[in-house]
Amino acid sequence: MKKILIPLLGLAAIVNVQGETSSQKSPLVSTEWVAEKASDPKVRIIEVSVEPGVYEQGHIPGAVNVRWHTDLVDNPRRDIISKEQFEALASRLGITPDTTVVLYGDNNNWFAAWGAWVFKLYGHDDVRLVDGGRKKWELEKRPFETTTPAVKPSKYVVTNERKDLRARLPEVVSIAEGRENAALLDIRSPDEYSGKVIAPPGVQELAVRAGHVPGAVNVPWKTAVNDADGTFKNPEELKKIYAEKGVDGSKPVVVYCRIGERSAHTWFVLNELLGYNARQYDGSWTEYGNAVGVPIDNPSGTVWTGK
Amino acid sequence: MEGSASVPRLLLMARIFGILFFLLWGAVGYFLSASEAFGREAAFAWVAGGAFGFVLQRSRFCFFCNLRDFLEHRIAAGALALLLAFAVGLVGYHVVTGAWIVDPSAGHLPPKAHISPVGWNLLAGGFLFGLGMAVSGSCISAHLYRLGEGAVVCVFALLGLIPGFVLGFLAWNPIYLAWVSGRRAVWLPAHGGFALALVAQLLVLGLAAFLVWKSSRPGEPAESSSPRSLRDLGRAVFVNRWPAWVGGLAVGLISVAMILRLEPLGVTSEFFRLSRHLGDAFGLLPERLEGLDVIRGCSQRQAEGFLSRGVLFVLALVLLSLAAALISGDFSPRWPRAGELVGALGGGVLLGVGAMWSFGCTVGTLLSGIHASALSGWVFLPALLGGLLVGLPIRRKLVP
Repeated sequence: MKKILIPLLGLAAIVNVQGETSSQKSPLVSTEWVAEKASDPKVRIIEVSVEPGVYEQGHIPGAVNVRWHTDLVDNPRRDIISKEQFEALASRLGITPDTTVVLYGDNNNWFAAWGAWVFKLYGHDDVRLVDGGRKKWELEKRPFETTTPAVKPSKYVVTNERKDLRARLPEVVSIAEGRENAALLDIRSPDEYSGKVIAPPGVQELAVRAGHVPGAVNVPWKTAVNDADGTFKNPEELKKIYAEKGVDGSKPVVVYCRIGERSAHTWFVLNELLGYNARQYDGSWTEYGNAVGVPIDNPSGTVWTGK
Repeated sequence: MEGSASVPRLLLMARIFGILFFLLWGAVGYFLSASEAFGREAAFAWVAGGAFGFVLQRSRFCFFCNLRDFLEHRIAAGALALLLAFAVGLVGYHVVTGAWIVDPSAGHLPPKAHISPVGWNLLAGGFLFGLGMAVSGSCISAHLYRLGEGAVVCVFALLGLIPGFVLGFLAWNPIYLAWVSGRRAVWLPAHGGFALALVAQLLVLGLAAFLVWKSSRPGEPAESSSPRSLRDLGRAVFVNRWPAWVGGLAVGLISVAMILRLEPLGVTSEFFRLSRHLGDAFGLLPERLEGLDVIRGCSQRQAEGFLSRGVLFVLALVLLSLAAALISGDFSPRWPRAGELVGALGGGVLLGVGAMWSFGCTVGTLLSGIHASALSGWVFLPALLGGLLVGLPIRRKLVP
């Protein structure tokens, strides 16, 4: 009996230590980890989903809801929320500077990654994603709950804004014109990239030109996830995928998409999982494609000319 | 001899088919929940649609008939059942949305709930819908369940919906700019809290129930004997018409189950989709219908393939109404008379225009709206009654 027990205990200790260290260092946490930490006061679990209503109809027990289109953006300004708005949001969610913020969402963590970018931008250090998000949680048949937890508010103060995680139009233009040495990564579909279409099917065309920023390479965002359970591919695979297109971390990279939200997913991969110096250009094609006097690459020749 | 035996034999056959359709409903539900392409949400839409159809048929829960019974014959039971359905759903929605929304004054609406902007379009749409109900003989949900009873006339009313929706779409852009744009979607709990909204609305419903009861004719003495044998119980559930209030209670509960699990109860979203698709295909519609896709209601749902949840809901509704009618003996195919036919087609068009302008019908806008404590649902109601009152004399001329 003892003979079996001792190695078993040893094994358990190793597993435990690995679990601890990986959860402390990795920007990803597993669904098991979240299930265990739901009531940990140092952890705040946040759902950011694309589709409104999915949180309310069932979410990971203990999670609070953040609505990306009202809580995280300042719509009339077409901007992310201001520092003051972010402080108010974080305070409302009872977050303190040493809270472990764990985000997850539908659509393979699309907007959860965007939420992670906003948290990082305002200097919150410990931000993680639940690997696989809602999809994996559901596939594992884990329980959902429908009540919204009442949270004791805190007083959150932003001390260290990370403006270096965000790229603005002038920087992107200077990269496109070769005045700044950085890579550009377009994560939209190949048809949007080539300019065959201005927007994906079913989405309003909000740019007057089609195509991409000159010099940008194309790796659709979904390439980074395992289709089966929505988890991220492993770092070696990811490195290879981006290296094949010339993005290997040797120089800074700027990612963009159509409205600047999907690209946060790839930003998370590059910056957080692979440790590259990545910036997200949230103005993206709806800003760049409409900007006056900037060059584009448009292999399909689709430019709005009126009738 | 043969003549007297043939009727029960026909009924027996009908019952066998009815039971088969019941089994089919269950089997399809199982298939949907196990299928990767559909999943548990589609299965829920299918099961709930069937339950709704069964309840509508068994209790003849029909907005038009219930209101007409009261307006023309002072029979209160149906109107009271409607008020009960409103009240049950209102309480249930408060339970659900109270769990979802921590503070109703924080500016967030309960997701998906049918709370639409309050503009003149609701009054115009409600009036036309009431008129269409009277002229065609039912609202849309009742046309669907009566289809299961073999009422051929309902096919024409439902066909009339499509040109009605297309006409509604054609007039939409100016209506949007004049009446809808800039109007707020008013959710009553956002102004004064959950408790006040619930109590105030229940008081209004209670007062309406009192007035209906007060002005009604003394009805038939209610049969209060509870079933003594299993056979009697079976007859009570599957053969005899349910008391109206049972229907009202069940409809309220189904509506609460729907918001908790799927989306608000509604039957017109697929007619919106189909008419928009057809209108586009024939090049009739403007390239853009301003603002329509972001307004909450049956108008909002986006295309999701041929067998969408809305389609599954409506198909199951008709299937189980058919099964219930076959078993109870209510199934009797009947060809409409000329007046009914004209009324059904014309009324169907009016129903379509009305539903389009008010983002849904008596189920999606009125029932799900009032359940959600939406001012839009309450505004729709008096306009609907107005249309109904104007339409009733027309109905009497068409179908003497």
